[in-house]
Amino acid sequence: MFARSRQGSLRRVLVVLLIIASLILYVAGKVSIVRLGYRIEALEHEKKELERANRSLRIEASSLSSPARIEEIATRHMGMVRPPKENVVMVRRKAAPGE
Amino acid sequence: MALGYSLVAMRLVYLQVFERAALSTRAERQQERLVKLEPKRGTIYDRMGRELAVSLDVDSVYGVPSMIGNPREVARRLSLILQENPRVLERKLEGDRHFVWLSRKVEPDRARRVKELDSKQIGLQAEPRRFYPKKTLAGPVLGFTGVDNEGLEGIERAYDKYLHGAYGWVLAEKDAVGRTVFPGGPGLGYQLPKAGHDIILTIDEVIQHIAEKELDGMLGSARARGGFCIVMDPKTGEVLALAVRTSGPSRPPFNPNEPQHYRPEEWRNRCVTDVFEPGSIFKPFLAAAALEEKVAHPLERFDCSAGSIQVADRVIKDAHENGVLTFTDVIAHSSNVGTIKIAQRVGKERFSRYIAAFGFGRKTGVDIPGEIPGLVRDPRLWSGVSLAEIAIGQGIGVTPIQVAAAYCALANGGTLMKPYVVSEIVDGEGHEGRKFGPQVVGRAISPETCAKVAMMLQRVVESGTGDKAKPAGYTAAGKTGTAQKIDQRTHAYSKKNYVSSFVGFVPAVSPRLVILVMVDSPEGVIYGGSVAAPVFKAVAEQSLAYLQAAPDDVGGRMLLVTR
Repeated sequence: MFARSRQGSLRRVLVVLLIIASLILYVAGKVSIVRLGYRIEALEHEKKELERANRSLRIEASSLSSPARIEEIATRHMGMVRPPKENVVMVRRKAAPGE
Repeated sequence: MALGYSLVAMRLVYLQVFERAALSTRAERQQERLVKLEPKRGTIYDRMGRELAVSLDVDSVYGVPSMIGNPREVARRLSLILQENPRVLERKLEGDRHFVWLSRKVEPDRARRVKELDSKQIGLQAEPRRFYPKKTLAGPVLGFTGVDNEGLEGIERAYDKYLHGAYGWVLAEKDAVGRTVFPGGPGLGYQLPKAGHDIILTIDEVIQHIAEKELDGMLGSARARGGFCIVMDPKTGEVLALAVRTSGPSRPPFNPNEPQHYRPEEWRNRCVTDVFEPGSIFKPFLAAAALEEKVAHPLERFDCSAGSIQVADRVIKDAHENGVLTFTDVIAHSSNVGTIKIAQRVGKERFSRYIAAFGFGRKTGVDIPGEIPGLVRDPRLWSGVSLAEIAIGQGIGVTPIQVAAAYCALANGGTLMKPYVVSEIVDGEGHEGRKFGPQVVGRAISPETCAKVAMMLQRVVESGTGDKAKPAGYTAAGKTGTAQKIDQRTHAYSKKNYVSSFVGFVPAVSPRLVILVMVDSPEGVIYGGSVAAPVFKAVAEQSLAYLQAAPDDVGGRMLLVTR
């Protein structure tokens, strides 16, 4: 009778340990989910910020390359002029045989 | 064994207590919030893919009045950063609401300073804002958006339902420290916003710039009230440039980045919303009718030496003295007398048919909001003098876009094409979008007649009233116009306000471009040949060079080298 009760109580301890272990795992899992959620949110936030910076730069590039500005810089600051038509030479290349 | 049980029990109880604390805190501070997710508005590109209108996220400042115990102090500090009235801010921060906008879409460094406050009661929320990186370029065509990103004018309004996209939403929870936690991710109380579609225009940024720049130049030197320059591809009906100036050279052109600084008439696209009496630029359509109906031959001679002609109860005069002119020269020298004599051979029935065939009296259907059909009187209501008047472009109301489209028909062999500004709507998510292509409206005249009219119009530029329109290196065809405006008060023709125009196509054979120039009320010199024709020449030269169109009028000075 002593032997049997020891076996029985061993089993019960194991079961309880198992329950405790699974509870711990369950809580750890939940904590992990929440922590990952925060990490995801932080990364999403960073991604959005980078995307925003990218688009802001693209708009700036777009604005800087507007034809009005280019013409202003070319004529006013670099002294370039539009070629008078008389100086324009049209050169047309005849296709070489075999091309 | 008892120890084991008690350990377990303690552990269980501990866990239970721990969880309860966390849960109850969550329950207290939990604010389930339906967060509206703003869709990204589509971008508007020119035909070469350069951005003309873009949305960017900027920060808006909000407050949580329910958490603010001292609204006056907070308002004072914020007013220094945001440059807003502290009393207005204070009023917004009073009360018990959970959310109130304090200042929307603020400058980035003001947003940064608000962030540095690191306050739980004041926060930043990103909101999209519309930017027009090319500033004033094509302002009236693009239109602008309001504070909630709804299109209010121009393309922004006409295509708002494509550009806008669809709102999304998410059910968000707030955790113990007030951070937003999305419990489930997409599918679980979460709908992603649908981005708006991008739009590609037929407009070419460079040609638009050329048109605006040359028009502005002439408006400045002529001290005119306004003007238009339209550039189209005659084969397809695509609008490559549409420059509208309506406020005189002293006012800056419309900049959609700051619509609040402008009056509505400065952003209205008068190319489609306003009618004008075209004047002599309407004569080629009479010529086309006469040639198609074979009632006159291009070399037939007409006596215009009288200098005036009596029609019913009106005497119509020529602007210059003329002798006996061929039909071609009647057009080249813009003789009213000759034109009316030819018109009388065509007759009102036939003429009004051709007027309709060239699209006058109807909307062109161009995709710009606010188009009107113009004013063309039913031929049954024409008076005895109407035929003569309309032949020389008076007594009829047309819009600039109608004139440009009609000249496209003259340029492309007689087919009336529908003008259009949007060539493609691109789906935001990579699906198939919508493409818009050339649309034939109808046939106005036969190709043979067209060729004859083109030759006449080429004569205008070579040796007629339009010689200042000739671009160096290219042939050109077109017509000058100097139309008296109608005085709004007296309803009679104004003695001093004119609309000076030149409309034509380059090159004269196989035209690549139709260019319309109209200048409203120039001071001093008023003839179309002197005011509008030089703008045509400049726009033609620069646009054709940009398009790398081969010069077809080589002349003496230019070398055409082939190897």
